[in-house]
Amino acid sequence: MEVESVAILVPLLPMLSAGLIVASVPKGQQSIARVSVASALITFVLAVVLLLHYLLYGGVRVMTFGGAWGSLWLDPLSLILWAFVAGISLIIHLYSVRYMLEESGYARFFALLDVMTAVILFMVAAADLVTLMVTWFLVGVVLYFLLGHDQRRPAAGRYAFWTWITYRFGDLPLWFAALILIHSYHSTSLPVIFARIQEGPALHLWGMPVVELAGFLLSLAAFARSAQFLLHMWLPYTMDGPTPVSALMHAGIVNAGGFLFNRFAPLFEHTGGVLHWVFAIGLITAVTGSALMLIQNDIKRALGYSTMGQMGFMVMECGLGAFPLAVFHLIAHGFFKASLFLGAGNVIHDARAHDGVPPNPLYTSIVEHRSAKPSRLPLVVAAGLTVLVPVIVLALSHFVVAGHLFQEQGVLILLFFGWVTGAQALFAAHRMPQQNPWRLMMTILASFVVIVIGYTWMSHYFGNFLYPDHNESRRLYQAAGIQRTSFTILMLLLTAVFVGGWILTFLSGAREWGRNLGGRGRGVYLSVYALVSRELYITDVYGHLSQLLLRFSRQLNVWLGWY
Amino acid sequence: MEVLILSFAAICLPLFPLSWFFNRVVASLPAGVAQALALIVLPQAGLDVLVLAPQPMEWPDSWRHYGMLWAIFTALFYSFRALSARDLGVWTRLLVTSGLALTWVGWLEGVRLATLHIFVLSWSLPAALLLLLAGVLIQRIGGAYLGLKGGLALMMPRMTASVTLSVLALAGTPIFPTFFVLLNYFWRLPIGIVPALLLLPFLWAWAVGRLFQNLLFGDYRGDVVADLEGGKAFFVGLALFASLFLSLYGKGVGL
Repeated sequence: MEVESVAILVPLLPMLSAGLIVASVPKGQQSIARVSVASALITFVLAVVLLLHYLLYGGVRVMTFGGAWGSLWLDPLSLILWAFVAGISLIIHLYSVRYMLEESGYARFFALLDVMTAVILFMVAAADLVTLMVTWFLVGVVLYFLLGHDQRRPAAGRYAFWTWITYRFGDLPLWFAALILIHSYHSTSLPVIFARIQEGPALHLWGMPVVELAGFLLSLAAFARSAQFLLHMWLPYTMDGPTPVSALMHAGIVNAGGFLFNRFAPLFEHTGGVLHWVFAIGLITAVTGSALMLIQNDIKRALGYSTMGQMGFMVMECGLGAFPLAVFHLIAHGFFKASLFLGAGNVIHDARAHDGVPPNPLYTSIVEHRSAKPSRLPLVVAAGLTVLVPVIVLALSHFVVAGHLFQEQGVLILLFFGWVTGAQALFAAHRMPQQNPWRLMMTILASFVVIVIGYTWMSHYFGNFLYPDHNESRRLYQAAGIQRTSFTILMLLLTAVFVGGWILTFLSGAREWGRNLGGRGRGVYLSVYALVSRELYITDVYGHLSQLLLRFSRQLNVWLGWY
Repeated sequence: MEVLILSFAAICLPLFPLSWFFNRVVASLPAGVAQALALIVLPQAGLDVLVLAPQPMEWPDSWRHYGMLWAIFTALFYSFRALSARDLGVWTRLLVTSGLALTWVGWLEGVRLATLHIFVLSWSLPAALLLLLAGVLIQRIGGAYLGLKGGLALMMPRMTASVTLSVLALAGTPIFPTFFVLLNYFWRLPIGIVPALLLLPFLWAWAVGRLFQNLLFGDYRGDVVADLEGGKAFFVGLALFASLFLSLYGKGVGL
């Protein structure tokens, strides 16, 4: 069988399954689930077969079907994402068979799940701008109905609407970017447009470089889809949808931003300024998402903000020129977050059985005859281990795997973040009350080494797979680079800030600063807490603005008699 | 005479402020079939009348330019007004006025009349279906004001599905023809106009989202009523499928 014949089946099978369910061909819940799961399974197997075929024989293909749109691009990016999306979809199908059994609209749910799978599969393999625009739009439409599955609850509808409106807002820059590219390069075909960009990247429109303008607009579209700061409010509130839908969204759909950056990588090679802006927005999102995650008391919403932080990091990676790393990140995060969501019910169940309140030191000391004060490593040893070990491990592993990458600024920044994250993890371990702190620290250090080496090796291999042309990767890193002196100053400044922060944290821990905040300190603390707990008042601002516009619209209608 | 022709066309292919009369005429007809027919016939008649008007390619460029801007303003104005409409009939009239006003942009840009007929039909057809469904709602629950008695999805699933699909078809959702004709417009028009036009799909989507809130969600609190008959739902589905076929088979209506 031809590769093309197999490839077209991948997005068509879930569509066919949805069609059968809508036409009521399978009767009864069991039959519906069987048809849907079988199609998801076959889709996954075919996607894996196509990926293996590419790994063994290579060959990028563009499939056209005679129309102005509907073409598919079978390149490493689409093939790896096909396997990933089909895999996640299969897991969610299997999970939903029993999870959704007692919900109303069982057939509708599976039909929509199949349509969503098909649309995403079309989207990631779109070889022309019209197909990309159509599928990009349709993902938002189908997601709206999936999120609003429980129609008895107005809250489900309200939060589905937030997603709907943010997605539609994000569609506008994508449409505009697509039209600019079509007008400038006289084609809808992505491979053709990219080839023409390489030939003439200096084209101008309204006095601005076309690629910079299109890149900026594409980044806005990616921000809306990947919940970047100020366009993120829909993400944590989508928890009112069924859990499988939350898992699908957090594991797959929200990653569309990373996909878009990689799909348009040949364009972003020429947009240094845009990549800097992408880095800044990603960084702000990563910090804000992680901070908001820490204060949530609802596990699913905390996971939502955690996704926001991760998406910020993924976008930041693109801003640094590490495009393949963003794809690796989105796949790793997808599987990790899907498992967390699908396991959230068990965690809640366990939490009901065991409250998880830490033991009272007085009780521990008197009744259990154990030391009330947890033993910890000496301060200097702990500080040395947490700050120095990660930087040594990260540097060595990267040096061994791909030494030449050390010349790229993006890699250095990512190593820097790896250092900060690693040190933070070790610091958290140091603060855990444990009887044997050395054993704990050594276990965590060993895990850290395994993870870093595995991650570095995988991401390097992944980069070679997605961008076999090393020059392309280098051009992306160079586009994201800044002047050497500014870079050195920035790195030194950041190092000083982080090291200073850790010193303060260690000292405050040792001397129990802040235990008795009073007066002005307490006021500041409460203000910051209020600001963060109200999610920076962003929802309130949007709410007031939209109410204002709706009042004006109503007034206009009253004046004109609703005609 | 030319002014009269253009004024008549501006009523049938609603252009502000004459769009007020278009809405008034449609609303004054009995709800249901009569209103739906008016939405199909009036815009097509407006296009036929435009043949008699002086052709825009002979106009000075500045006139054509201002004409286009005025049509875009009308479209934006009516889509903005649709945001606060909760009555299905009113909502449909405002939204279809917004879409039909764009016909003028195409006409002023020199788009062929045959293409404009399809353009107009793409908007009229789903809007006519919605007015038919609004008529059925008025008969069954006494009005088409959505959300007053809670969501309809659980009480009238066939009616809800029919309204939902027609609304999506009307509001430029792919792969319905309205999406492709709009895209076709974007394609042909000077790129400078596109940012203003792009606001339209956003406002339509906002209006759709608000309508769905009232249509789909919440428990139904009214008396028990019969759902839309299977035959009628099938007719709506068939009409939408036919339009879908048109947009796919026609390779996106002119793309």
